[in-house]
Amino acid sequence: MADLKLDQIRKSYGAVDVLHGIDLDVKDGEFVVFVGPSGCGKSTLLRIIAGLEDITGGDLMIDGELVNTKSPRDRGIAMVFQSYALYPHMTVYKNMAFGLKLDKQDKAAIDARVREAARILQLDQLLDRRPSELSGGQRQRVAIGRAIVRQPKVFLFDEPLSNLDAALRVQTRIEIAKLHQDLKSTIIYVTHDQVEAMTLADKIVVMNGGNVEQVGSPMQLYHHPETRFVAGFIGSPAMNFTSVTIDGVEQGKVTVSVPGGVKSVLPFDVPASEIGSQVELGIRPEHLSLGDQGELTVNGEVDVVEKLGDSTYLYLKLANGDRVTVRAPGHSRVKIGETVTASAPAGAAHLFNGQGKAFTKVDCPAEFSAED
Amino acid sequence: MNFANIRREDASRAVIVHAILLTYTLVALYPIFLVVINAFKTRKGIFKDPMGLPNADTFSLEGFTKVLAKSNFELFFYNSFTVTIVTIVIVLLLAAMAAWALSEYKFPGNTVLALYLAIGIMVPIRLGSVSILNLVVDMGLVNTLTALVLVYVAQGLPLAIFILTEFMHQIPKDLKEAARCDGVGEFKIFFAIILPLIRPAVATVAVFTMIPIWNDLWFPLILAPGDGKQTITLGVQQFIGQYVTDWNAVLASLSLAIIPILILYLIFSRQLIRGLTSGAVK
Amino acid sequence: MAHSGPMTDWRKAKLPVIAFLAPATIIYTLFMIYPLLDSIRLSFYATPSGGDAAFVGLDNYRTILADPDWSATFWNSFWNNMKFFAVHMLIQNPIGIALAGILSLPQLRFRNTYRTMMIMPTMLSVVIVGFIWQLILSPVWGVGADLLDIVGLKSLFGPWLGKEGSALITLSFISVWQWVGIPLMLIYAALLAIPDDLVDAAIVDGATHFEVFIHIKLPLVLPTVAMVSILTFVGNFNAFDLIYAVKGALAGPNFSTDIMGTLFYRTFFGYQLQLGNPHLGATVASLMFLIILAGVLFYLFAIQRRLARYQL
Repeated sequence: MADLKLDQIRKSYGAVDVLHGIDLDVKDGEFVVFVGPSGCGKSTLLRIIAGLEDITGGDLMIDGELVNTKSPRDRGIAMVFQSYALYPHMTVYKNMAFGLKLDKQDKAAIDARVREAARILQLDQLLDRRPSELSGGQRQRVAIGRAIVRQPKVFLFDEPLSNLDAALRVQTRIEIAKLHQDLKSTIIYVTHDQVEAMTLADKIVVMNGGNVEQVGSPMQLYHHPETRFVAGFIGSPAMNFTSVTIDGVEQGKVTVSVPGGVKSVLPFDVPASEIGSQVELGIRPEHLSLGDQGELTVNGEVDVVEKLGDSTYLYLKLANGDRVTVRAPGHSRVKIGETVTASAPAGAAHLFNGQGKAFTKVDCPAEFSAED
Repeated sequence: MNFANIRREDASRAVIVHAILLTYTLVALYPIFLVVINAFKTRKGIFKDPMGLPNADTFSLEGFTKVLAKSNFELFFYNSFTVTIVTIVIVLLLAAMAAWALSEYKFPGNTVLALYLAIGIMVPIRLGSVSILNLVVDMGLVNTLTALVLVYVAQGLPLAIFILTEFMHQIPKDLKEAARCDGVGEFKIFFAIILPLIRPAVATVAVFTMIPIWNDLWFPLILAPGDGKQTITLGVQQFIGQYVTDWNAVLASLSLAIIPILILYLIFSRQLIRGLTSGAVK
Repeated sequence: MAHSGPMTDWRKAKLPVIAFLAPATIIYTLFMIYPLLDSIRLSFYATPSGGDAAFVGLDNYRTILADPDWSATFWNSFWNNMKFFAVHMLIQNPIGIALAGILSLPQLRFRNTYRTMMIMPTMLSVVIVGFIWQLILSPVWGVGADLLDIVGLKSLFGPWLGKEGSALITLSFISVWQWVGIPLMLIYAALLAIPDDLVDAAIVDGATHFEVFIHIKLPLVLPTVAMVSILTFVGNFNAFDLIYAVKGALAGPNFSTDIMGTLFYRTFFGYQLQLGNPHLGATVASLMFLIILAGVLFYLFAIQRRLARYQL
């Protein structure tokens, strides 16, 4: 197992810059997830770490060694592909043994390793089958087995769950998490699904447009998003945003006008220069409750009601046209067309300036901050 | 490219790969090149400096003038051109109709008929030449371009039907159903809607059909060797046979036969390759 | 895109369907299938001079295969054809496969240009190709010797096309030069169908590009390689144009370049000392058909069935 260091990694295809200088430290045994929308560069970054793409600029170190010019086989990595990429003409056994055979390991050693990996992944009965005879989930496991067998320093996963149906996805997610606990391996995992990121990662790297938006633990990203992008990306359903005006600034406090005429005082450090400007207020649906007991209040007409049993999502339309989602209890009887008031504690709010950067929250209450 | 980050193995591999490819390309093109440049030389130039380009001393068009004077090259060209074009048009129309019927309508014997028509792809039509000649003689079509067209159409249909059937399978069902809902008759559906839709495949089928016809020696030799009806390939073969010691003329006639095909090939190479690669992998 | 079979019932459209199918089927049957069957029929007949055609059973076959006047020539042409085929299988197809493998390497620059250039000879008429090489190899011109001189092999040059021992092989190589484009294109297309992911996975597993080709790509395109082989077989046993253009109907020197196609032509049309005999010609054609059919059936039942096509 090994640690990784990315130092100002840049990647261009001709005149097009795809990665703009990525810095990252991955500690030995960490489960790091690259997450972001399509085109953000996460898969490219993974392929660069694997050695399948050349680095245009910057340095990549695995276990302290500079590996920029090393071929994938010399980097000590193994990769699980989105499409599994199993060799269709080989049995499961041969698929897993292929890399070791190329390495000219002796048959007994290969056999031992393949059978051990098969045991861990419950593939023992399937060793003589071809990929076409396996289900999606089984192929998944073979792909993982092929990686385990190589005993790599770093495991790379490229959206491995995308091709599975919803139920299988959850199950496999748990298996991957357990695998990480058992093998204690360094894992780099790419996905566009923030639920996978939140549930699997020790550390999440949120990417957007070839840049790193924020790096942190899942809870850090959830409670302390540094940019509007991260705030809107992490959490499902997504955070609500609405434009507010800064009315007044005091030491550690700011007064904002929420659409609907309500003024709220929120605990943020805002420079006086921002008085009068429009900033963005963010509040998560799960932090809003019906009624006006919180310091931050919104009013709106209910547009859509989604009942999920354990909770009900109410979609409100505010006076200024913005939409707000509120998570109400499952037994809520609110109907479409009703005007409701929802509110949240001031400490749950987020505030972002004109450039999308978060204002610093002051004295954040424990339930809205990441455990350290 | 950031040269600091290219592996040494990658760089040397690229050199070897390009060396191999260049060598083979040279082997493939140089003979053609040699013939064409020497066609533009004087007889002395051909023998003294065969591998050099024509220069002020050696440049000459005497080969070409001789060919055009002593043989009816324009006629050969016209014959080849006519036969090829007429065949392509007929093949496209008939194959489109057949492919449409096979891919769209359920009828007893559909699969058998499709198989029957497809066998022709592998059957060498030449083997029936004895009977084809008898047939042509009986029909009074010896030494006519018509005979060639009929034979080439028969030869080209199997592959054309195969390619077009595959193509038509991919036409969205909704288009056909919408037309039917409008109460359009079957014939109209084919001519007004389907036929225009196969335009992408037309180039492929055309190139596939054209090249074997243009280059064929066997059927012109057997069915239409008479004066005035020779195709280019036959004409060149006969001309060279006659003037075999006249190097200028020989080289010039070869060049005249090559150049049209090469130009057509370079224009249509993308469609040809796409056709070869898509149809053949099945 | 998955497609379903024919969807529309024809009962409402009988006339159009027949109209669509008839012209193609008629011309195809009349000018391809019927002549083939008729040729086979003709091979069972003979026309004694001045008389009418009479049924003679397998006499013609006996003549061609066993009669001292004919059989030597027949078997000579058969074995020459096999040698011709062997050269193509051993030289043309491996070169085509290797070039296809190189062309399919990822991130290859000028890939399309190379491809277009390399299959140019395939576009030319066989006749033209024959003449080009005849000129280049002609001792009178000497270009061939000059070219060999460049690689230091001038001493090897000789009038290969004119010598009995080397004419057939030389013509085989010329044919290979022309037709490499076909296996090149077909295998290249099959290689393109292999998903990049598989290649990436193999590289991550530690394979060099060569190992990827041998262990991953080649096994997956074996069905296409088999198809190319049978196409080569059919094409070779049907060959005629090249030999005829370079050596004429007599396929000399001393029949050393005679293959089944030239034998067929000569028997059917006759040449200098011998009258053409359509019945014997038809017999030769039928034998050619049987040989080709045997090859195709072998391919279909012994080979194609065993080769799995993998879902990529």
